[in-house]
Amino acid sequence: MTDTAAVIDLFTPASLDTLVAAGPVDVVAGVHVVNQANHVVDVLDTVASALDAYAPSRRSAVLVADAGSQDGSPDVVRAWCDSRGPGALGACLDLIAPVHRGRAIGALVRAAQRVGARGLVLLDADLTGVRKDWLQALLEPVLRDEADFVSPAYARSVSEGTLTTNLLAPLTRALYGRPIQQVMGGCAAMSGASIGSCLGPGAETGDWQPHGAEMWLTTTALASGARVVEVQLDRKLVTPGGPQPDLATILVRTVGPLFALMEHYEAAWLDRTATEPVRPSDPVQVQPDTRSPDVERMVRAFELGLKDLLPVWEQIIPESTLRELYPLALPGADEFTLPPRLWARIVSDFAVAYHERRLPREHLLRSLTPLYLGRVAAFIVQARATRLERISDIFETIDRAFEEEKEHLVARWR
Amino acid sequence: MHESWADILVTSFREVAVRLAGYAPRVLASLTLVIVGWIAAAVARRLTVRILRAADVDGRSQRWGVTSGLGRTGIRRAPSDLVGQLVFWVIVLIGMLMAIEALNVPAAAGLAPVVIRFLPNLLVAIFVMVVGWLLANFLAQALLIFIVNAQLAGGPMLASVLRWLVILFAASVALTQLGIGREMILLVFGIVFGGATMALALAFGLGGRHLARRALEDWFRKRQDRAPDDMSHL
Repeated sequence: MTDTAAVIDLFTPASLDTLVAAGPVDVVAGVHVVNQANHVVDVLDTVASALDAYAPSRRSAVLVADAGSQDGSPDVVRAWCDSRGPGALGACLDLIAPVHRGRAIGALVRAAQRVGARGLVLLDADLTGVRKDWLQALLEPVLRDEADFVSPAYARSVSEGTLTTNLLAPLTRALYGRPIQQVMGGCAAMSGASIGSCLGPGAETGDWQPHGAEMWLTTTALASGARVVEVQLDRKLVTPGGPQPDLATILVRTVGPLFALMEHYEAAWLDRTATEPVRPSDPVQVQPDTRSPDVERMVRAFELGLKDLLPVWEQIIPESTLRELYPLALPGADEFTLPPRLWARIVSDFAVAYHERRLPREHLLRSLTPLYLGRVAAFIVQARATRLERISDIFETIDRAFEEEKEHLVARWR
Repeated sequence: MHESWADILVTSFREVAVRLAGYAPRVLASLTLVIVGWIAAAVARRLTVRILRAADVDGRSQRWGVTSGLGRTGIRRAPSDLVGQLVFWVIVLIGMLMAIEALNVPAAAGLAPVVIRFLPNLLVAIFVMVVGWLLANFLAQALLIFIVNAQLAGGPMLASVLRWLVILFAASVALTQLGIGREMILLVFGIVFGGATMALALAFGLGGRHLARRALEDWFRKRQDRAPDDMSHL
């Protein structure tokens, strides 16, 4: 599909006219919104003031793509655009159905390409804690031509983001040889070159849609060898624009795209062995937990899975790995352990089974839930027995386990 | 005048020889039909397998979980091979029937048309059973994973019940297609299904009213305890 055809396919005629009228724009802030009528104005004000402050000499625009709001968010956004003074570029882009988050992100990237942007900062309007200096931190490396892709790294409490710290980030690091803390951080900045590379052939037809669009951008940057920079931000404050899915659905929407992208970019990771640091390679900033996760419940979930889901796991996990799982259910919750090496092996077994389509993919991903809860329980038990400043060592151990597992994964994937 | 021993022997031989001579073409035709049928079946099997492989039926079957489902029942052959075998034996069966018909055996008279008329129904019934079995496995697996992820006990039993219900339903459809005890099967299925539902409703509503209430309260309490999830996973 040509770039022009792709743009026509995405936007309504009125939105296309808006894009054409916008003309060349240097910097685009692309905000994707779902049901954020109460918060989106604050987010847009922050974005607009950041552009005014940090890119005053450049022609900039705030483009908003609604990803299927039911609460009147598009009307609020339009009112906000109308309220801006003359010369300030802002538009709410209407998408042609199907409308979902992935398509909205893809549309914003396409729109940035259409107006010839040299820099694009993407932002999820759910990220209600966004600050002006965050956007500066994201945009600066791109505008100074020091980076093609800028990814956020957040300060987090011990038990926050466990799917990211125990699976998404370590597997991504092992695969593409670039340590990165967030594969779907809710915001990112891209250079014009990076925009072009992620809209290459087959970019929007993969299995990672509709939920893995952010992961697609990050992975494309890592796999293409783009200059990736990570910027340290504060705590990530999110106000979800709707009911949150259950854990199994979260796994389907995150691990599924990660595995699908492994298939898409296999040429980029199968032969890659070295790990290059991403600038600046700051350790994860860990803060103490404010809540105490219920480890006992997680261990019970793991044990129930081991008892009842064995016929499903037997199709995914080889007997040698399963044998290592059986004794884990014996100690109590306080002593529960699921070592990173075994966890990395399990994840690689699931990736291979996904690749070989040994069972329906949604079933496969959902059946990972008890094992993931087991790993989270083991991680929290270990973290509770570790001093806060040493927690980053645990993350490093997990990362190393995935790196050591890669050879085995590659051998079975081929 | 009495026939001599030799005359009788000669006459018998002559009669048998005449009869054999009259029957030989039928036997030869029958043998030819069997051999030609066998060769045609082998060619058709090879063609079918090639066409199915070219259409990536094996790959698709793996993606749709058919191959793993077959593997669980001990069938390790590729689906294209299985369909090839089915085609082979259907053609061999047709050849055999034609061969029997060619023999003109009174006992087998009219057998071929009956079997050939029955064959499409048999194939449809096999298809219904295969689809029913695949659907049963898919739904049972989905239910099992859902129950375990909801951290409820009894997943394997409920999944097994669902699997057998779907297989029973498919079997009753297949038997109805074959015309075997059509009314009886519908009646039995209706009685068993309706009876089981009624029995469960009565047991739940009367006998186990308090137990059911407690179970439901427990279930809702557990759900409330769990929601919202107290962890941010991403």
